[in-house]
Amino acid sequence: MDVSLLHPKSGDFAAITGFTLADANQSGASHQNGLASEPVHGTTVIAVKFKDGVLTVGDRRATGGNAIMYDKAEKVLALDDTMLMAISGAFSKAIEFVRFLRHSFKYYERSQLQPLSLDGKLNEIGRLMAGNLGGAMSGGLVIPVIAVYDQKQSAGRIFFYDAAGARFENLQYAAAGSGSVQIRGAFEYIVRTKGNFSEMPLEAALAEALHLLEIAADLDSATAGAGKVLPLARTVTAAGVTEISDDAIRAALGASTTTATSI
Amino acid sequence: MSYNFYDFQNAIQQRNDYVEDQLRDGSPVIGISCPDGIVLFTLRGTQRKLFEVYDRIAYGAMGRQSDVESIRIAAIDSAHREGFQRSVDDVCLSRLVGFGISPAVKQVYNDQRAVPLTIRALFAELHDSAADDVFCTLNYDGEYRISKGSAVITGVRSADDSAKDLLKDASPASRDEAIRLAAKVWAHAYTAMRHARKPGGDVDETGVRLTPEAAFKGALDKGLILEAALLTRSTTRTSRFECCTSEQISAAVADLDLG
Repeated sequence: MDVSLLHPKSGDFAAITGFTLADANQSGASHQNGLASEPVHGTTVIAVKFKDGVLTVGDRRATGGNAIMYDKAEKVLALDDTMLMAISGAFSKAIEFVRFLRHSFKYYERSQLQPLSLDGKLNEIGRLMAGNLGGAMSGGLVIPVIAVYDQKQSAGRIFFYDAAGARFENLQYAAAGSGSVQIRGAFEYIVRTKGNFSEMPLEAALAEALHLLEIAADLDSATAGAGKVLPLARTVTAAGVTEISDDAIRAALGASTTTATSI
Repeated sequence: MSYNFYDFQNAIQQRNDYVEDQLRDGSPVIGISCPDGIVLFTLRGTQRKLFEVYDRIAYGAMGRQSDVESIRIAAIDSAHREGFQRSVDDVCLSRLVGFGISPAVKQVYNDQRAVPLTIRALFAELHDSAADDVFCTLNYDGEYRISKGSAVITGVRSADDSAKDLLKDASPASRDEAIRLAAKVWAHAYTAMRHARKPGGDVDETGVRLTPEAAFKGALDKGLILEAALLTRSTTRTSRFECCTSEQISAAVADLDLG
C-alpha cells in the first residue's frame, strides 16, 4: 500500500520515473557491442520543407565503427502528432531520448490537460542534449533534426541542436550524420537553382531529398543507398505525421536516380 | 481513551454516511463498449469529469473535485511510470487499480484521522475488440469491481440497479448509439437518485412523479453540460482518447427516447 501515490509530484515526468541523465550517460558509454569496438551509430538523415509541412528522410543503416550492424534502423521517429525527430549519432542514446520525450510530452498533456507548447517541447529536447554532454564526450553523441508543424504559424519548421543543447532553426533544410557533410553544398545548389524547398510540392521535395540521400550513400561508406532497403520517409503537416509508402519512394527514386557518377 | 468494538463500527458507519451523503447529489458516469471503441458519458458542472489516463485507459469520476483530481493524477503517474520503466504493453487496468490505486484509497479510508476520499470512479481499458474491453469501478473505501461491456457509477444503490438493467445485454453499433444509450441510462439513474432522496420519491407540488425526461431536461436547464469521450479503436494519431464536441453529442442525443 502506497498512499504517497495520492500525493503526486506535480507533473514532473523525470521525477516520477526516476529518469536521470546520469543513467543515460552510463548507457551511452557502453562501447562494446560484440562486432565492433564503437557504439552503434545512425548515419544520414535529412529534413526539407515542402509547401504543406516538412519532409524527413533517413537511410536505414546503423554502423559500429567499420561494421554494418543493422540495415533496417528506423531513424525518423514521431515524438507526437506534430513533431518528428530524425536521429543521428549514438543509436542507444537516441532511442532512449525518443522514448523519454514521447512519454514526457504525453505525460504533460494528460496530467496538465493541455499539450506542451512547441517552445516547451524544444526546450525539453535542449535540456536533454545539454544533460548528455558528458555522454557525448565519451561516444554517446546524438545530433537530432527536429521537424515540426507549427499550428500557430500554420507552417512547417526545422530545428537542430549542437551537442551542448543550443537550438538553431533552419529556414529550408537540415541534415545530420556522417553523410550530411558531403551533401551540404548540394542543398544550397538546389535552393539556388530550383527555388526554395518550402515552395515545392511533396513529390518534388521527396525526389530531391532521396537524390541527396543517394549522393550521401555514394560518398559516405556509413550511409546506405536505396538498393538494399528503401529509406524511411515521413512528413509532418497540419494533418499530423504520415509515412510515405514504399511505392511512392520507389516512384520518387525512379525520378531522381541517375547512374552517372563523377567518382 | 479506550475504544470498544461498537466505537469501531460507529466510526466506519459515520464515514460511510458522510461520503454517501456527499455522493448522493452527484452526476452518474457511464461507460459503454461499442465497435468504434469505448464511450464515456456524463453531465458535468464547470469542471471536466472524463479524462485520458494512458494510451488505452480512460477515467471518469463523481465526487469532490479535489479527490477526483488526486485519483486522476495518481493513475496517470502510476501508468506512465510503468509504461516508461517497462513497456507500454505492461500497463494494464486491473494491475493499475488492483495493486496501485485501490490499496492507496483503502489506506486513506482506514485512517480514522483522515477525511475519507469523496469519490466513486470508473476506469475503462480499450482492447482490439469490444468483447475484450475492461471496465473497473472503484469505491471510496477502496473496493473495486471489474466488468465487461459496460459500467456505471451513481450516487445510490437503487440508481445503480436501474442503470445496470438498462445496460444489460446492450450492444450499441456505433459511437452515437452508445452516447444515446448512455444518455438514457444517465437520465434513469439520475431520476432514481432524486427519488431516493425523499421517502415518497421526487414528486412535484401537483403530485406528479419526476420522470427521466424531466430529470434530464431539468439538469440541462440547471446548467449542467453534456460531456462524452471516446477511446477510439482505430486512429492514425498517437492518442486514442477524444473528447466529443458539443455538436457531436447534441447530434447523437437529438432523437433521444428516454422511455
